[in-house]
Amino acid sequence: MSPIKLEIRDLRVSFAGHPVASVPELNVNGGEIVGLAGESGSGKSMTILAVLGLAGTAGAAVTGSVRLDGQELIGLSDARLRAIRGRRIAAIFQSPALAFNPVFRVGAIVSRTLRQHGLSAAEAAARADAGMRSVLLAPELLHRYPAQLSGGQLQRVAIALALALRAEVLLADEPTSALDVTVQAEVLELLRELRDSRGMAVLFVSHDLAVIAELCDRVAIMRAGQVVEQGPTGQVIAAPRHDYTRELLAAVPRLRE
Amino acid sequence: MADDILLDVRDLQVSFGPVRAVDGVSLAISRGPFGIALVGESGSGKTTVGRAILRLVPASAGTIAFDGQDVLGLRGPRLRAYRRAAQIVFQDADNSLDPRMRVGATIGEVLIAHGLAGRGARVATQVAALLSEAALDPALASRYPHQLSGGQRQRVAIARALTVSPRLLVLDEPTSALDVTAQARILALIRRLRDERQLAYLLITHNLAIIPGLCEQTVVLYLGRVAESGPTSELLTRPAHPYTLALRSAVPEVDAAARRSRIILPGDTPRAGSTPPGCPFHPRCPLAIDVCRTTVPPLQAVAPGRQAACHRAADVLSGLRPPGAPAQLAGEP
Repeated sequence: MSPIKLEIRDLRVSFAGHPVASVPELNVNGGEIVGLAGESGSGKSMTILAVLGLAGTAGAAVTGSVRLDGQELIGLSDARLRAIRGRRIAAIFQSPALAFNPVFRVGAIVSRTLRQHGLSAAEAAARADAGMRSVLLAPELLHRYPAQLSGGQLQRVAIALALALRAEVLLADEPTSALDVTVQAEVLELLRELRDSRGMAVLFVSHDLAVIAELCDRVAIMRAGQVVEQGPTGQVIAAPRHDYTRELLAAVPRLRE
Repeated sequence: MADDILLDVRDLQVSFGPVRAVDGVSLAISRGPFGIALVGESGSGKTTVGRAILRLVPASAGTIAFDGQDVLGLRGPRLRAYRRAAQIVFQDADNSLDPRMRVGATIGEVLIAHGLAGRGARVATQVAALLSEAALDPALASRYPHQLSGGQRQRVAIARALTVSPRLLVLDEPTSALDVTAQARILALIRRLRDERQLAYLLITHNLAIIPGLCEQTVVLYLGRVAESGPTSELLTRPAHPYTLALRSAVPEVDAAARRSRIILPGDTPRAGSTPPGCPFHPRCPLAIDVCRTTVPPLQAVAPGRQAACHRAADVLSGLRPPGAPAQLAGEP
């Protein structure tokens, strides 16, 4: 068993005293994908923002503990967080089109990010190329503008950037919800590969328990800001203990009636 | 038989400049209650077919008949009457509802525009009835769209479409912007309205899993052409086209037992305008053979009521699968 990579304890996010997300205990080990499942408004995305140290900029108050390899992140200065965010903890979001500035070529965005984290121009170029190849994209696509790539390609570029930075933790907030099912299948396959071959720790947020069931080793179910159930995915799916989990399961569309 | 057909689309073509987005699509929609699904990835032309049917984009060739009447030649009051009979619900209710209009005004406006509004307070009663029919609290009439959830907004869009008592609905990815829980409620609403209002609809989607129970017939589009069509249950359990196999295998499954080994299609979803020679699907097809690279497969009958455009359709129907993919859904007889 790999050591705990990301350790969340008694994390509480609130707006003006009104709690929106509360996670008592959640660990993500290296080489493991942990799911965070629930509907819109259940607090999953606020949890992700809190881990990234970005909930404060959204006006939220955060208490509790988030540790990366044992190092406490809550309360770190912006400057120290900036060195961790992106480089050690990468994030991908639902709409890759919004994550890329439309007036720059994709490669310029990637290389600027790499250089901000201290790489030389030559290193950045080499890492960007290698990152693109690992997500099965031709490095030539770096010369294109975001609008010239499909949603699935852009999402893979976002993952390539995380790889180029050698991120240890990937936070994925509904990264396939805006994609076609065929493209979703590809991105899920890619995430499995990152887990298995690079030992990445992935925290994966989704409203779709079928996607969670296919991808995640463990899952926490969130409702109205609270974790209502958590455990190994197979167990939670096969024998849900909370009514809300059963409700989420019943909502999954199935090929056979 | 022909009397059962509400909408008959034949050899529809839609071109945008040199790009042929829809290339010879035929489909028939029976009188309601009846559902037909139009399935494909982004860029397959499915949305364009829906818009051409509603005369929102011009067809460059082919015919569309509604109740035996030529749709493409309609003008003036008769086009207006057709637009009452055929309504659309878009994917993104955030953009299809006016953010500055209260929900009640959005629906009332349609009643007024089509001369269906009663006098004074009667409009409010009509609006309340439509909201209830879409399983919304009539009190939401005084809200603005941003005060509603995504699922509620999509119900408002459906209520608005029902305002003019349409006989045909085009549902363009009505649930793909929603959570699975909100999606399940919208699908249940469509199922109920279908029976209560005797509705016929064209359900446009990239997700095969939402079709069972909603659509009797399914048409699979690839690069603007029909890859396969037929009764939904047969098409899903025994596909005749490798593209349908791939779409089916891409559906995420909760039950480990139902999970098929994935057919990952190499390359990206194609763009209209760069159609390869031979079968349009061959560059991504795991079953392609020499003839696929040179000869376009015609759409032809492969079983009663079923058509497919694939040189290997007979083999696929009788169980040919790409290496690693099981021949059947696990648990199938």
